[in-house]
Amino acid sequence: MRTRPRYLPLIEAEPGMVLGTPVRVTRQGQHRYSLPAGHRLTGDNLRQLAAHHAEFIFVAEPDSRSDEEVAVDAANAAHRVLDIFSGADLADPTLAALFDQVLAYRSA
Amino acid sequence: MSKPCITRDEVLSRADELPAFPRIVVEILATLDDPDASLALLTEHIKQDPVITARVLAMANNAAARTRRLSMVRDVFTATSLIGVGRVRETAITTRVGHFVAGGVGSGRGMGFWRHSVAVGVCSEELAQHVALRTPGDLALVAGLLHDVGQLWLSRFRPDTSHESWNEALAHNDGIDVVERERFGVDHAEIGAWLAEHWKLPTSLISGIRHHHDAGTESDELLVPLLHVAEVLSNALDLGRRAENRVTRISSTACSRLGIVWDENIRPLFGRIEARSAHATSIFRHE
Repeated sequence: MRTRPRYLPLIEAEPGMVLGTPVRVTRQGQHRYSLPAGHRLTGDNLRQLAAHHAEFIFVAEPDSRSDEEVAVDAANAAHRVLDIFSGADLADPTLAALFDQVLAYRSA
Repeated sequence: MSKPCITRDEVLSRADELPAFPRIVVEILATLDDPDASLALLTEHIKQDPVITARVLAMANNAAARTRRLSMVRDVFTATSLIGVGRVRETAITTRVGHFVAGGVGSGRGMGFWRHSVAVGVCSEELAQHVALRTPGDLALVAGLLHDVGQLWLSRFRPDTSHESWNEALAHNDGIDVVERERFGVDHAEIGAWLAEHWKLPTSLISGIRHHHDAGTESDELLVPLLHVAEVLSNALDLGRRAENRVTRISSTACSRLGIVWDENIRPLFGRIEARSAHATSIFRHE
């Protein structure tokens, strides 16, 4: 099944969610707790993360949208990004690079 | 006939008509380098502030529920040990600045203004962490929360012209700072810096507020480029879903000074900022 990336607060995370990126909790430079990308979270993992004051995690969520819905969502997102950057001079390489990354992020 | 330019004297003479600036924020910033003093100050203040106490206890009990702690958390000391001093300090700052903004902003723009302030605060903190800046996270947060405090003054004391300035900026894709300088002889960044000086906020924070639209300026303060990039990014990501979210320029000098590269490795930062901003706005939505 297709997945889509999403950051979410730990309080919204649930057992069974799959990590999109590794989690590595450090405090004052010291490694405290880590989980690899692709790991399916358990209730115990969530309690451990909460106990170590982790706040946000990155999960790969199942994406049940049809291809058509994905295309419509991407078009709407792109339209809003173009609106926000409508007064920007995209000949400026820094501005163009920011625009490209925001557009790619919104299209994911 | 156009009104005369806004002067520093006018801004400061009317500053007293705004709610009192929260002293706890000034004191927290003054003790950031001294963790023991900071903790003592926080504990003392929170004990006398039922709103912050309630929020801290709610967060602690939420965390306790996740760790299967059975007893209810009822005191600030236990709560602090559960959620960490940093979160408690962040809650105190955001709660008090939120009350200040809610009491000071004119009608109409209150919620949008606050959402944008929170978003830029979160962006500033996350960017500082991303580029491993030595600026304390709490200073970056306060800078973001207060970067547009000059607009708060304008919307309170020149509401009609302030509103017209936004309309003109959006219609012509001009920067709001450019339109304000044409209409008032000064922009909200300068007005905000005057207010920050009046409240005796740290010099770096004053510079950050003053130059957040002009980050190419010569300044040793890294808070200047940080705040500039944070506001641009907040608008680029459409945080707060404001009609005013527009990106017309970004200082490449500011990006270089921070060491920010806009390539695909930046996208996880976008996700983190978006999630934290939504979360912070939901927590403090009643401000």
